[in-house]
Amino acid sequence: MKRKELYWALLVFLAPAVLALVVMRILPAAQALIESLFKTNVFSGEKTFVGVDNYVSLFENPDFQNTIAVTILFAFLVNPIQVFSALLLALLFVRAFPFSRLLRSLIIFPIAVPPAVAAVMWSAVYRPDGLANGILKSLGLSTQGFILDEEQALMAIIVMLSWIGVGYWMLFLIAGLNDIPDEIYEAARIDGAGYIRQTVSVTMPLLGRPLSFVLVATTISNFLVFAPVLILTRGGPVGSTSLLMYDIFLRAYSFGDIGRANAGVFILILLMVTAVSLQFFLLRKGNQQ
Amino acid sequence: MKSTKARLSFGKAVKTLLAVLLASIFMLPLLWVFSNSLRPGSETFTWLDPISWQTFFPANPNFDNYLALADTSLGQGILNSLWTTLLTLVFGLALCSGAAYALAALEFRGRQLLFSVVIFSLLIPFDAIAIPLASMFKGLGLQNTVAGLILPGVANGMAIFLLRTFFLGIPKELVEASRIDGLNWFGVFFRIYLPLSKPALVGASLILFLFQWHAYIWPLLIGTGERTLLGPIALANMKSQYAVDFGLVFAGSVLLSVIPLALILVGQKYFIQSSSTSGIK
Amino acid sequence: MKKLLKAPLQLAGLGLASALVLTGCAASTTAPSQSAEPSASEDITSQPIELAFMGPETPETFEPVIAGFTELYPNITINYEQIPFDQLATTIEQRIGSGDSAIDIYTVDQPWLAQYAAKGYLEDISYLAAEASSAMPSAMYDVNFYDEKMWALSVWNSTQMMFYNKDMLDAAGVQYPSSSPDARWTWEEIDAASKIIVDSGSAQYGYLLEQVVNYYQFQAIAESAGGGSGITGSDMLSLDLTNAGWTKALEWYQDSFANGLQPTGVGGFDTGPMFSDKKLAFFIGGPWDIGIFGGNDVNWGVAPHPYFEGGEVATPTGSWSWGLNPASKNKTAAAEFLKYATINPVGNLKTTEALTVIPANEEAAGKYLPGLESDPRSAGVSDIMLYEIQNTARTRPTTVGYVQFDSLLSVALEDIRNGAEITSRIDVLTAAIDDAWELFR
Repeated sequence: MKRKELYWALLVFLAPAVLALVVMRILPAAQALIESLFKTNVFSGEKTFVGVDNYVSLFENPDFQNTIAVTILFAFLVNPIQVFSALLLALLFVRAFPFSRLLRSLIIFPIAVPPAVAAVMWSAVYRPDGLANGILKSLGLSTQGFILDEEQALMAIIVMLSWIGVGYWMLFLIAGLNDIPDEIYEAARIDGAGYIRQTVSVTMPLLGRPLSFVLVATTISNFLVFAPVLILTRGGPVGSTSLLMYDIFLRAYSFGDIGRANAGVFILILLMVTAVSLQFFLLRKGNQQ
Repeated sequence: MKSTKARLSFGKAVKTLLAVLLASIFMLPLLWVFSNSLRPGSETFTWLDPISWQTFFPANPNFDNYLALADTSLGQGILNSLWTTLLTLVFGLALCSGAAYALAALEFRGRQLLFSVVIFSLLIPFDAIAIPLASMFKGLGLQNTVAGLILPGVANGMAIFLLRTFFLGIPKELVEASRIDGLNWFGVFFRIYLPLSKPALVGASLILFLFQWHAYIWPLLIGTGERTLLGPIALANMKSQYAVDFGLVFAGSVLLSVIPLALILVGQKYFIQSSSTSGIK
Repeated sequence: MKKLLKAPLQLAGLGLASALVLTGCAASTTAPSQSAEPSASEDITSQPIELAFMGPETPETFEPVIAGFTELYPNITINYEQIPFDQLATTIEQRIGSGDSAIDIYTVDQPWLAQYAAKGYLEDISYLAAEASSAMPSAMYDVNFYDEKMWALSVWNSTQMMFYNKDMLDAAGVQYPSSSPDARWTWEEIDAASKIIVDSGSAQYGYLLEQVVNYYQFQAIAESAGGGSGITGSDMLSLDLTNAGWTKALEWYQDSFANGLQPTGVGGFDTGPMFSDKKLAFFIGGPWDIGIFGGNDVNWGVAPHPYFEGGEVATPTGSWSWGLNPASKNKTAAAEFLKYATINPVGNLKTTEALTVIPANEEAAGKYLPGLESDPRSAGVSDIMLYEIQNTARTRPTTVGYVQFDSLLSVALEDIRNGAEITSRIDVLTAAIDDAWELFR
């Protein structure tokens, strides 16, 4: 009886979502993997099996090598920056103070803006005659190239993405912080722990789950980002913002190079699996301590 | 020793100041967009260099751009977006919370495997599989339908992940006790998990909502008939080839952003409230 | 972690079989169909017919031409669907490419024609060539040909001219450029005049090309410097970007930014506002700017597009054509609409009622151009445009690899604009385009 009940429960609760995910995510991804093993003749539509040629062709291409390097660098920069900023903001806003609710909402607001509009906004911010340089000038500082400068463009994109997402992630962390019972803080305070000690010994360990969620979710979202690159930099200057997802998008939607676009998709998925697995591994290790 | 009260208000004052500074920085680009929606599009870039108070506060604000929106398809687009997003939320919450529940509360063989499926689906870039998925949908006759629009948004790996994370925190003792009392798995879901999960459900709603509200490439591939023309596409259609009336586009952007913003403001309260007040302890 | 990887592998196995089926369904391109004139006996006046028309413009743009056609054929309804411009190519790829019969006519950006014709996305309409030849200037006729067949009909044309701010030139003591095409200024003269104007403080910058990092704009510069279009070979899939002409053009281009004569950072169609906001003395723009600048308070005049001293005069040209979907079920009626909007001067003129753009049809253009001089500032523009269209227009090269070329070149131009070393950047560009063109070999 118990068995049957369990199976019914699984059917009703689990089956629909799993079916949907398999049909609408896994299957097309499998199709993409298969497509990546073929070369399609653009004119006749004829498909030829080429094995790993598409992958080899990509890896031999210096532009693609650069794309991989930039993507990995980007991941190492953007994720810690965003999670750390979200955490600091969460710590700031978790206890109420005058206007905290309003001010917090203003920081969350950017996620509500359509991505294409956000990109136009930031193109106005980063223009040589734009908002950012205007503010720098009024403070007596020298103007910067931002997205026109090879050395600054990637950080400029990171700043823009952080502006969009940090408030959103902060929300999740505040929820997690609120889950920590006051009694534990009381106990720590009685033991003489100051604010920093409390944060390190009480908050951080108990924030484990929400923090892992935010870390994994941020990492994945950032690997999939390409709209700012599409609208602001198109991979430049000189390839310094050439992210893998943008490369895939360009090949698939602009160049019609389906075989290599799909190979790119698979390489991206492998990168993400590696990154996420690494994070799960490290977090589990951290939790054991 | 300084009185704790004085210490606390000083701390609060510092926090307020810091928060005001941060919030202002965050709001600056948005303020610029909003102020440009109140003046003609030809003046959009006029006030950038040099920066003056007029950059953010137009001297003669007017609502002409908002009135002009009535002549575009943005109104219809927003209505369509509201409807499809609502449907996505309803079906999405049902599907995702159910799956998260099964993965958190039920013990069965292959549980870890199926959870891995969920995580793996998260790693698949949706825009990269949108083209083959659209072909599949067309073959199934879902071209230009509302169902075609919402189906991919209904199964959201991140929402399931979030809900499962939360569900795992619900104490097993509670569940065991009610099972002993004769509650079956459906009962446990509806009577125990759901009522205790308001914050997580609000969070999942936010995830589902944003995915559907910001959707751009997918609706274009599915077809843009009268019923299926969504807000972001109506917004993009306002750009002609040779010129963009930024005043108009920004007014449209403000309208498109206000709705998710309102939902976030309202939902915030429920999302972050501590679970100690939601009855678990 | 092992479990994490086991799942995808198992599922891939599951997906393999079904995906193979799906792949079969999704892929489809049709071979170019034979040009068949629809039988004369097919009657398109008695039955109600619905035609689906797809393009990037707002619906208001095509209301006049649709209304005009419906007057002649009251039984035909035309449903127009707008697709945002930056998604048009993808949508065409997706829908026409999958044999979707729900679209009858769609807009084709002229440089994309070769690619679409080669992929079988356009119906061969060579039977209309004779009529087209007498209705269009030669450039607008030739541009629709690929592989010696005609695949679309030109609706609009374009050209470029130079706008200048009279007040700024007056303040710096610079003479106005002549409006006579025979006495047009050279780029060298523009540079010299700009230097004087900027140094005197009368303007922040000297000049700006409207589509400053696009091939549409840059081709004329490269051609005038003697570099040719950059694409050669019998298959039009070979690059020639390192010849003396291209090098001269690129160096001149980079120097203009380095010397502060042209501003960096502004692109797309955000360039026009810089002229309206009185930051530039000269602006190289198109007919649509006559309408746009008509609304500003700049005291501007118009002069012909510049050229390099000792070089040929070359001007950008080309715009949109319309074509038929080979999968359409209403080809006769659709072809009639197509003819009305292009070969018929009345119909073609109607396509320009809502926008400031040059009709491709020669007779329509003759009627349209003088109308652009309603604003006293645009005096002389009609003669200038007519001259360029008939004498100096260089269409973009007909190659199936245009999209890749255009997209990658644009990024390279932006880098060169911002100071990247030219030779190495062009080498990287050549390698990238060749790699992208692997698709066609």
